[in-house]
Amino acid sequence: MPENINVFYQLLPDTIAGWKKADPPDLYTPGNLSTYIDGGAELYISYNFKNALSMKYTDSADNEIAVDIFDMGSAPDAFGVFAHSRETIDDRFGQGSEYAAGLLTFWKDRYYVSILAYPETAEKRDIVFRLGRTIADGIKSEGALPPIIALLPAENLLPETVRYFHHYIWLNSFYFVSNENVLNLGNDTPAALGKYRQDGAVFFLLVVRYPDAARAEAAGRQFRQKLLDGAEDGMRPTEEGRWTGLQSRGDMVSIVFNAPDASTIRAIFAKIKA
Amino acid sequence: MKPRKSISRRQFIKSASVAALGTTVFLSGQETAVPVKSGRSRVVLVRNLDVLDENGNPRYAVVEEMLDTGIKALTGMPDPQSAWKTIIKPDDIVGIKNNRWPYLRTTAEVENAIKKRMIEAGVKEANISVDDLGVLQNPVFQKATALINARPMRSHHWSGVGSLIKNYIMFIPEPFTIHPDSCADLASIWNLPVVKGKTRLNVLVMFTPQFHSFGPHSFNPKYVWKYHGLMLGFDPVAVDSTGLRIIEAIRREYFAEERPLNPPAKHIAIADSKYHLGTADPQKIELIKIGYDKESFV
Repeated sequence: MPENINVFYQLLPDTIAGWKKADPPDLYTPGNLSTYIDGGAELYISYNFKNALSMKYTDSADNEIAVDIFDMGSAPDAFGVFAHSRETIDDRFGQGSEYAAGLLTFWKDRYYVSILAYPETAEKRDIVFRLGRTIADGIKSEGALPPIIALLPAENLLPETVRYFHHYIWLNSFYFVSNENVLNLGNDTPAALGKYRQDGAVFFLLVVRYPDAARAEAAGRQFRQKLLDGAEDGMRPTEEGRWTGLQSRGDMVSIVFNAPDASTIRAIFAKIKA
Repeated sequence: MKPRKSISRRQFIKSASVAALGTTVFLSGQETAVPVKSGRSRVVLVRNLDVLDENGNPRYAVVEEMLDTGIKALTGMPDPQSAWKTIIKPDDIVGIKNNRWPYLRTTAEVENAIKKRMIEAGVKEANISVDDLGVLQNPVFQKATALINARPMRSHHWSGVGSLIKNYIMFIPEPFTIHPDSCADLASIWNLPVVKGKTRLNVLVMFTPQFHSFGPHSFNPKYVWKYHGLMLGFDPVAVDSTGLRIIEAIRREYFAEERPLNPPAKHIAIADSKYHLGTADPQKIELIKIGYDKESFV
């Protein structure tokens, strides 16, 4: 694995199919990432972003292919950023990838990679894939997935929906819960969310691990009070006739959203192997 | 639990709009106010499947035709030339405030079509300028008597959506100061002397709105929807509110579930309830739809 993110610049060809690599590349840190990603830097910073290398390839008509490589510091956070918008399972690049309409994203070890050629053409798509292959091959090691996602029971889980995060704002991106941080999520509380489909019903399971049981209990209690009307058993039907259920056990809090009934919630709680 | 989800947002927008009664649109710099039918704000949505070529780029001739159709419907005039003359005077100094975000621009086609019609209305070319980031330093904008506000709508990490209301953020020296609380107070900018009362027309470009933000540049092509639309109105809040309904509907269509914008685009409702810039209430908006109507979402 490259020790320094600048190595990727040397790794990539100076020209490819008539497209030239512009130099020098730009290096971004948490302090100046927002100058590059207007309004979107918070996503990366919330996943402990370290630095990013940004390169451009241009053709004779000044069309552009943007190559961005993000060092997220750890494999779980690289996976977290990648999985944030994943909608399909595709392993053609790195440890997981997605390509749509000119944008290739993938993750491998602690790196999250984005190659954007928009609007898409067949020629540009071929170049994007070749550059992606070069970068993926240049990262020799693989990283471990966030341990917490292994707690999501596999049965009926839609794998492309698995998310990993440690900031409450991203929970709301996937399933809106509250504008408040009612579960006290933070950098020391890894969380995983997955969507399940069972007998035609779709529901979500959230698992959060806290540094200790006391914090888990406090978070669970707050959630029950604010969003479950203080339900002692942690189960509550919603106004739409669906069910929400919370289980606080040891240092973990698990919550099911949008379940068809309480028995479905109890059944999936029983499958969590903490 | 009582998951509020989108319901709470709809309720919020509804309640926030209660305070705003029927809006009368005043065309700044004009001698008279333009009456809005039944006290409602008129919004015109024009859609044409031919507006994008095979590579997704706008076709100028179609853009011009859509703009003409829209301005006629908005003003009730029989031809585009007379329609423009109701909102622009030959001695006006006109700033066209565009948006140059590289992945989703106002587009040169929209800017040039507007500019062409203004010149036909008698405005000197030297008295017309198109700008985004440099408006505070631009001599034409500094002297502007009229503004045309034109931009595409897109989801946005700070404000829920990049809107017509938000497009004036470059009229303040330090735009980041308006970021707190999901840019809730964006409409306050419209009260600053540099823009107050100058906006003659709002054009929301909905050729390919972005309905979800993700990626290194807050952009992902899979979250761009070919809507083939152009929206016009005098009331920026009414146009934005309608555009927001479209964005939210596209999100429901794409994700096949309620997926509220995060953060919420609260600045649109607040522009109505707190700043009285216009109306966000669909009941107080007269929406005129012209052209292709499949999956219009409104």
